[in-house]
Amino acid sequence: MTELVGRSVARVDGRAKVTGAAIYAADQPVPDALHGVLVMSTVARGEVLRIDASAALAHPGVVAVLTHRDLPKLVVPHFPYVKRFIPMQGTAVHHVGQPVAIVLATTLEQAQEGAALVSVDYRAEKPSVVIDDAREPAFLPQPFRDRPNEIRRGDAASALREAPVRLEARYSSATRHHNPIEPHTTTARWDGDRVTLFESAQGVLVTRTVVATAFGLPPESVRVVAPYLGGGFGAKGPGWPHTLLTAAAARVARRPVRLVLSRAQMYTSAGHRAEYRQHLRIGATREGRLTAIAETSTAQLTATEDSVFNRSDSTIGLYTCPNLHVRHEGVRLDVASSSYMRSPETTSHFGLETALDELSWQLSIDPLELRRRNHAEFNQETGERLTSKRLLECYAMAAERFGWARRQPRTGATKDGDEYVGWGMATETHTFAAMPSTASVTVGVDGKALAQLATQDIGTGTYTVVTQIVADALGLPLRDVQAQIGDSALPPAGLSAASATIPSISGSVDQAARAARDAVVALAVADRHSPLFGAAPAEIETRDGRLVHLRDRHRHDTYRAVVGRAGEPVRRTATVLNQGGHTYGVVFLEARVHARFGSVRVTRVVTAHDLGRVMNRRTARGQVLGGVTWGIGHALMEHTVFDRNTGRVVNPNLSTYLVPVNADAPPEVETLFVDKPDPASTAMGARGFGETPITGVPAAIGNAIYHATGRRLRDLPITQDKLL
Amino acid sequence: MAESTGAARPTRRTVLKTAAVTAGGAALAPRTAVAAGAGEVAAGPGETAVVTLSVNGKRRAVEVEPRVTLLDALRERLGLTGTKKGCDRGECGACTVLVDGERVKSCLTLAVMRQGSEITTIEGLAQGERLHPVQEAFIRHDAFQCGGCTSGQIMSAVACIDEGHAGSDQEIREWMSGNLCRCACYQNIVAAVADAAKGARS
Repeated sequence: MTELVGRSVARVDGRAKVTGAAIYAADQPVPDALHGVLVMSTVARGEVLRIDASAALAHPGVVAVLTHRDLPKLVVPHFPYVKRFIPMQGTAVHHVGQPVAIVLATTLEQAQEGAALVSVDYRAEKPSVVIDDAREPAFLPQPFRDRPNEIRRGDAASALREAPVRLEARYSSATRHHNPIEPHTTTARWDGDRVTLFESAQGVLVTRTVVATAFGLPPESVRVVAPYLGGGFGAKGPGWPHTLLTAAAARVARRPVRLVLSRAQMYTSAGHRAEYRQHLRIGATREGRLTAIAETSTAQLTATEDSVFNRSDSTIGLYTCPNLHVRHEGVRLDVASSSYMRSPETTSHFGLETALDELSWQLSIDPLELRRRNHAEFNQETGERLTSKRLLECYAMAAERFGWARRQPRTGATKDGDEYVGWGMATETHTFAAMPSTASVTVGVDGKALAQLATQDIGTGTYTVVTQIVADALGLPLRDVQAQIGDSALPPAGLSAASATIPSISGSVDQAARAARDAVVALAVADRHSPLFGAAPAEIETRDGRLVHLRDRHRHDTYRAVVGRAGEPVRRTATVLNQGGHTYGVVFLEARVHARFGSVRVTRVVTAHDLGRVMNRRTARGQVLGGVTWGIGHALMEHTVFDRNTGRVVNPNLSTYLVPVNADAPPEVETLFVDKPDPASTAMGARGFGETPITGVPAAIGNAIYHATGRRLRDLPITQDKLL
Repeated sequence: MAESTGAARPTRRTVLKTAAVTAGGAALAPRTAVAAGAGEVAAGPGETAVVTLSVNGKRRAVEVEPRVTLLDALRERLGLTGTKKGCDRGECGACTVLVDGERVKSCLTLAVMRQGSEITTIEGLAQGERLHPVQEAFIRHDAFQCGGCTSGQIMSAVACIDEGHAGSDQEIREWMSGNLCRCACYQNIVAAVADAAKGARS
């Protein structure tokens, strides 16, 4: 019976968040903690020659200045620690903003001042930090996480030669940074050989694994606590050096240490979306059916890593295309490590969805119709039929609501005052993961339920959805259910990354809650003091905290009474496996381009998504609102600028790295959902969703700009100057 | 090519500190200076001043160095961690509090500059169990996700309504643009502020 799952239930952590009572990692009171501040390299390539800490040590309150000479030797953890080295283990410098010392002081201000007083001499070489300046030609990196960087299907070269219609274009996008509002932070407290970390982590178990590996500890010796997270967007998914360095400093200092990265430090400390080039060649029939795609992309890799994060998943499999050749290439540059950033596919998907728009104009076929003609019924890699894929329904719903049929098939056709008005659309798709998850549900002697699992709420609504699932399964009101997450000491569960939370955890939470319900019912029917004594368990209904006999409704009991009489809590645990997959949708939008200033506004947006069963309509809508505005940032403003001579980030702050503000967001976003359970999903029919609704937005904006002005822009972000 | 950074150059903080010393004419030896009134705080490196603030209606004395921001005084000294630090340079708005009724980014003001001021933080908005109408509206309209910016958004919204800058959605969008929401619940924030403003007018 479902009463709450699927409904627009208000966030159960809302009160804590609007009153300031929610305790984030840097809010945890830790007595006696020192404040740590990192000193970071100012050169991009070279080595540390000398570190003079005397002025810092003379500053009042500074307790220690630790360098590579002082830290214990650590083991470089494997993925999900993405960096292939740990800073402050030697003198080599691989990028600007690499930690070279950590200053510990009694107060934050003393530590900050101390860090400014540390003097570092370097041997420096001229760096290369952007793709244009690469010293070596692009190369094909080794498979990353067992996924190859070259994918072939059929014979793309021949098919391209023979194609009646061909399109060739180059697309590109700048480096981007996640910029969660909460800076990365670690507080480490050792107790002998055990360490507790209050960490801004998207996955407490990731941090546990990374820290345990680095320090050579069994995982049980590391506890990671992160009940609330002030955003992450991928930045807090992998493990990063500041966490290890804080734990190491606390060990050396024999005192707890709290470290919070500054906003500027975040631009070299926790990954970014790599600078990216894409060369696309498409072959098609005159009816617009794709016959070949050849794509070579070039990513900004680093001196020490060759992991490609911005894979071309949609090029590989979104549309039916028999001949394919995709190469993810890269060049080594002296920049900080890149990583996953909200929907990594967005980078390549911009090119694919722009190219399809270009093809639609070339063939005079409506862009939506072109996509319908290439709709994939089968998995392009395995040949299996894609069951429960409802992308065509998404197209129909959103097109109808947007009024796409009224689109003028000419560019520059509509002007409203000083602005050209254009419409654009793009398919959205995202590859989500699922991780094995265990959850436990306990019904206490007070008749209230507690769900426990080591997952996270990054802001997507995990607390709320877990609470809804448990309330439904047990037949308890929401207020009698509590979710406890964000602690590695809880049963192991999937993390908040790769849109994996809901598909990973929902099944285990539901099964644990149902098992707890059945156990309480079993107690009741076996209890001589219960009015339900002797009844068949199948005849008991649970609702609003009560257990009621279905045929004889005068016979009833309550959770509180049954478990209270038993005298001890009823706890059940369940583990459920799910598999990853794809989520689909579409975005239609209107953009207005100022005729003289070149400024772009996105004024109307309609989306439709198929995420299987929608667990909570308001938190699902929240992901769409966020994704649309992220897409606007991606398309129109966000870009990290490097100084090509020094390798430094020129704009490591929020006044020059522009992210959308309130006035930039479209006033109206209509969010439609197909909302039909996916029978293949063990997560109560739900699929992973969070990162899907950004993927098509940049291309839809570029396509709308073309429709408005006749100008095709292939390099992101489309800043105002490019439209003058 | 060799490069040296750090002690050789003046930093923003050392400049600030020097300025504070000069302005107050204080001795360089560490001591504790007690502020007699607004603008009369004087201290050098390592020196502290006792600043008295009225925080959420309670008189609180806090002993801080002059370089301590109001934000760090609230978070690190008074244990009021509801106010968040997002950028520490006035760009994101997460640290917004009310100072004598006006919205202020608490990372951009020093605690010693606020001697005797009335400070309202997110912890001081509800009346016991009863939430402030803006807090209620934020829950009702799902005007937050991760919560990292929420304290600042709500404090800013309270002032925005007070200022009379919540007359239309368009006006709210502009006057709430000093508070970044990276989860980007902007449409819901506008709806919450508009709803609370309507309640405040009626």
